[in-house]
Amino acid sequence: MTMEQESTPSDVPGGDCTPTRMAAPPPPDPQFVLRGTQSAVHALHFCGGAQGQGHPLLLSGSLSGLVHIWSLQTRRAVATLDGHEGQCVTWLQTLPQGHQLLSQGRDLKLCLWDLGEGRNAVVDSVRLESIGFCRGSVLARGHQHWTLAVPGRGSDEVQILEMPSKTSVCTLKPEADAKPGMPMCLELWQANSSPRPLLLAGYEDGSVALWDVSERKVCSRIACHTEPVMALDFDSQKARGVSGSAEKALAVWSLDEQQALQALRTQELTNPGIADVKIRPDRKILATAGWDHRIRVFHWWTMKPLAVLAFHSATVHCVAFATDGLLAAGSRDQRISVWSLYPRT
Amino acid sequence: MAVFDTPEEAFGVLRPVCVQLTKTQTVENVERLQAQLQAVSDSALQELQQYILFPLRFTLKAPGPKRERLIQSVVECLTFVLSSTCVKEQELLQELFSELSACLYSPNSQKPAAVSEELKLAVIQGLSTLMHSAYGDILVTFYEPSILPRLGFAVSLLLGLAEQEKSKQIKIAALKCLQVLLFQCDCEDHPRSLDELEQKQLGDLFAAFLPGISTALTRVITGDFKQGHSIVVSSLQIFYKTVGFVMADEQLRRLSKVQAKPAVEHRVAELMVHREADWVKNTSDKLTILIKKIIECVSVHPHWKVRLELIDLVEALLVKCSQSLVESAGPLLKALVSLVNDESSEVQAHCSKALRHFADQKVVVGNRAFADILSENLHSLATSLPRLMNSQDDQGKFSTLSLLLGYLKLLGPRVNFVLNSVSHLQRLSKALIQVLELDVADIKVVEERRWNSGHLSASPRTSAAGPRRQIQRRYFHFFTDERVFLLLRQVCQLLGFYGNLYLLVDHFLELYHESVVYRKQAAMILNELVAGAAGLEVENLHEKHTETSPEELREIVTSILEEYTSQENWYLVTCIEAEEMGEELTVKQSGLQAITSGAHTCQVSSFLAFSNPSPTICSMNSNIWQICIQLEGIGHFAYALGKDFRLLLMSALYPVLEKAGDQTLLISQAAASAMMDICHACGYDSLQHLINQNSDYLVNGISLNLRHLSLHPHTPKVLEVMLQNSDASLLPLVADVVQDVLATLDQFYDKRATSFVSVLHALLAALARWFPDTGNLGQLREQSVGEEGSHLSQRLATLEEGLENTTTAEDIEQFLLNYLKEKDVADGNVSDFDNEEGLGCTGSVCGSSTVPQEPAPSLGSSDLALTRAPTHQR
Repeated sequence: MTMEQESTPSDVPGGDCTPTRMAAPPPPDPQFVLRGTQSAVHALHFCGGAQGQGHPLLLSGSLSGLVHIWSLQTRRAVATLDGHEGQCVTWLQTLPQGHQLLSQGRDLKLCLWDLGEGRNAVVDSVRLESIGFCRGSVLARGHQHWTLAVPGRGSDEVQILEMPSKTSVCTLKPEADAKPGMPMCLELWQANSSPRPLLLAGYEDGSVALWDVSERKVCSRIACHTEPVMALDFDSQKARGVSGSAEKALAVWSLDEQQALQALRTQELTNPGIADVKIRPDRKILATAGWDHRIRVFHWWTMKPLAVLAFHSATVHCVAFATDGLLAAGSRDQRISVWSLYPRT
Repeated sequence: MAVFDTPEEAFGVLRPVCVQLTKTQTVENVERLQAQLQAVSDSALQELQQYILFPLRFTLKAPGPKRERLIQSVVECLTFVLSSTCVKEQELLQELFSELSACLYSPNSQKPAAVSEELKLAVIQGLSTLMHSAYGDILVTFYEPSILPRLGFAVSLLLGLAEQEKSKQIKIAALKCLQVLLFQCDCEDHPRSLDELEQKQLGDLFAAFLPGISTALTRVITGDFKQGHSIVVSSLQIFYKTVGFVMADEQLRRLSKVQAKPAVEHRVAELMVHREADWVKNTSDKLTILIKKIIECVSVHPHWKVRLELIDLVEALLVKCSQSLVESAGPLLKALVSLVNDESSEVQAHCSKALRHFADQKVVVGNRAFADILSENLHSLATSLPRLMNSQDDQGKFSTLSLLLGYLKLLGPRVNFVLNSVSHLQRLSKALIQVLELDVADIKVVEERRWNSGHLSASPRTSAAGPRRQIQRRYFHFFTDERVFLLLRQVCQLLGFYGNLYLLVDHFLELYHESVVYRKQAAMILNELVAGAAGLEVENLHEKHTETSPEELREIVTSILEEYTSQENWYLVTCIEAEEMGEELTVKQSGLQAITSGAHTCQVSSFLAFSNPSPTICSMNSNIWQICIQLEGIGHFAYALGKDFRLLLMSALYPVLEKAGDQTLLISQAAASAMMDICHACGYDSLQHLINQNSDYLVNGISLNLRHLSLHPHTPKVLEVMLQNSDASLLPLVADVVQDVLATLDQFYDKRATSFVSVLHALLAALARWFPDTGNLGQLREQSVGEEGSHLSQRLATLEEGLENTTTAEDIEQFLLNYLKEKDVADGNVSDFDNEEGLGCTGSVCGSSTVPQEPAPSLGSSDLALTRAPTHQR
């Protein structure tokens, strides 16, 4: 229609990880589409399939505050969780142990759900201080303990909590002269070599900062974008990360041994606005959710564009990968498209 | 008439008659005696037995020629006495036996004396009665070696009668008597079972007669079918009982250890047979020939009781003589197996029972396991199967396939030993594929059209015949008999049930891919394999067999389904019109080929086949059949998986529904029947219920296919059918799919507008049906207004207005004129008159196509408004 037409087939070169199945036009279709959220989809998360407990599930959080649990086997919603008083659900994350789900809503609440054995009840909740769009991040620290990062009370603060006790560990506040603006996206992680939790945060001013959580100080910080960082994902094995912002480019950066962030390259895009970016668990490809209704797929190592998936008729808000490689994208058009791309053989 | 209970009274009465008979031997005197005997009680008769028998025996022994009539009446009288008394003395038994046998002796010939049939019958009955009247102990001692010559005479006499007499009555009597003589009588008078030693004695004795008995009986058995089944049945019985007794492994095993010459006179000793290894070997070789003859003849005997007896024969011989008759084991088993599919249900049941018995007991024949012989037989059958299928007539094919079926039933899970051999699997599949070749020349297949394109009104209840009804009548190149097809299906089902399903499905899917020539047959076979694997309609002879698990089966079905419904196997040219429709598609395909060149040779070739400029009637027929078979397969799969098939509806329902609207009668019928099967299997009450409950899956298919309308030109039709068959619960999905429809309509408004208009019409009709009056409409509107951004509320608002203010024809006309004007302006076709007004618009339109724009924040809200101006892509 009014959008520029991207010739999709030419965007799909026969790369080294490109199986013949994908090479054949017409441009790929979603494997299937989930309908029925009746509201824009803002958060997606795959869970299950592991531990031999039934079939994998896809969780979706919607603008209307509902969390839908979809069975990927029947492709139907099996349950709906209503815990955010009609306010948009922005982040969903299951915890490594058992059947617990964290959901973050714009009602300033972070709910902990128990989904085991057919239950779906809120067992605990955390009061949030910030009304922004910044999603939280969680890092498992041993059995039944995890560290949680959420935007803090002050507009530029990040709060670190110890869970499930909900004790506040610290508040990460940038130095007075930095003025990075609000945190927009968070990623807690831990290097293999050291037990200290680290936090990557993307800020409103387009910069990405690496925090040492225990010492409460910024290790390194680079300006990646000229617009707010909307999403980032980090590959801790390769010590490389990628971030997307409101502008027309993806930034790839790396982390050296001295824990200094270094910009590697930028990947220009046709249209501005990246709402979400995710690296597939096998670290081969990454997907972005575009404001231009498109999902873009890149080769993670070379950043070569592999495919532009045109299906949605409105902004794509979020993307998620399952452990088996399935890709899901949630959009403002109320649909969730599920794609099977370059399936591993 | 007075009864004389005491011997004294009886003696008084009988004495004069006996004296009279001794003096003058006439028929009258004998009859008088018999008349008097009627009045004597059994106990008295027993006392006077010897006395009464004397004049009778005297008459028989008296020298000189006698009238047959007299002998007959004497024998009858004798028989009467014997039937009421017991023979307690060994000597008497032997003498009577000889005297009776001698009645039919003719000195000059081997054959029975040429006497009247009545006499023959009397003598036979006499002998039979005599053997019954003998005391058990005496009877056993009767069979001592010295009796051999006399017994031999009687046996050959009876065999002669059985073989050569005209009268059926005599034949049967002779055979019955033979049974008595050979200790095979099953009446109550012989309750005592023989101990080991006695068995050995009898065995030695009867061994002497074995050659004579077996050859003579074989002649009787293989004689004219018209001689009556009871004669053949009795002969078969005597044959296998005698052979089974003399050649019993149990006896022979013991004999080889002990060897004691019985002390008998030289003449008799010559006649005696000692059953040593050599003798056994020789006899068994000869018997094998006879057994083969018998099997050959009896297995096709028109009377079912004869075939039933054959099963007993096989069972008895295989159980008792598996060592001694090892050579016959193969033919015997084959006979049994070929009866598994007998047309008589009694024979079938009995045969299955016998087979189950063998399968369970792990019977060992010779040194080889029963299963080994079977696999060997199956191997050789598989080898010759392609040739047999090529050369045999329908009847021949029927028996060959029956045999194959029997082997499969019998081998059960062990059938895999044969299937695991690549060459045998190939031969087997080649034969099946070959014989299942369809005759696709019938022009009616293409011609017949479905005319009424109305609702899918039928519900499973109205077509009451239940699931898996009669499948569509097919015509095959190589046979016409429907039974052959039935057998072929059963063979495939059994293969699926017992065989390694992964292996088989892989193999036949490969054939399916390999050539369009095999495709239909391979699909038929795959369908039956799956039905069989689910254990439907398969009688399991093997208790321990583990069936394919539901998960595995689902996995397999999913892969076959994927194959069936893939672009190149599902969308085939079935009529000329379809070809025309496909024109633009061809263009598109060639474009695609340019892009994909080299990537997919197989795909390209199938596309080429698809765009073949002039499909022949035959190729279209073939395509129609292929689609029908695949549809039928989907029905089978549903039936096989039951409720589990619900998970596959997401991929299966759309294609089937699409075919339900196909123009070709056969295809739409097959699709309707597949949908019924799905309803039954998944527990839906009606087609409407099925469609309604799975509309989300359908919407998914519709929405994805609308993106490639040229490849899926029937998509709007499916949507239409779905709308027609759904209820208001579909509403949340409608908005979504209508968006897709309108978006697609924008792309194809010039070519496919009609089909979309009919979809939109169906939509309005559905809305009107779901919400029949304005009251409900208002209510609903209130509900839906609550949902933010619901396009429907707007839609309904429009509807409501339409209902409230009745639109006149002028309004519509005016609307259309306005619309056309706007359209012209949008296209830039503006007249000078309108120029000034139009410039601005034109400019903005041009601008929209050149200047990159942020995508419109929402495309949805105005989509459904009727006044929406279309945007076109050029």
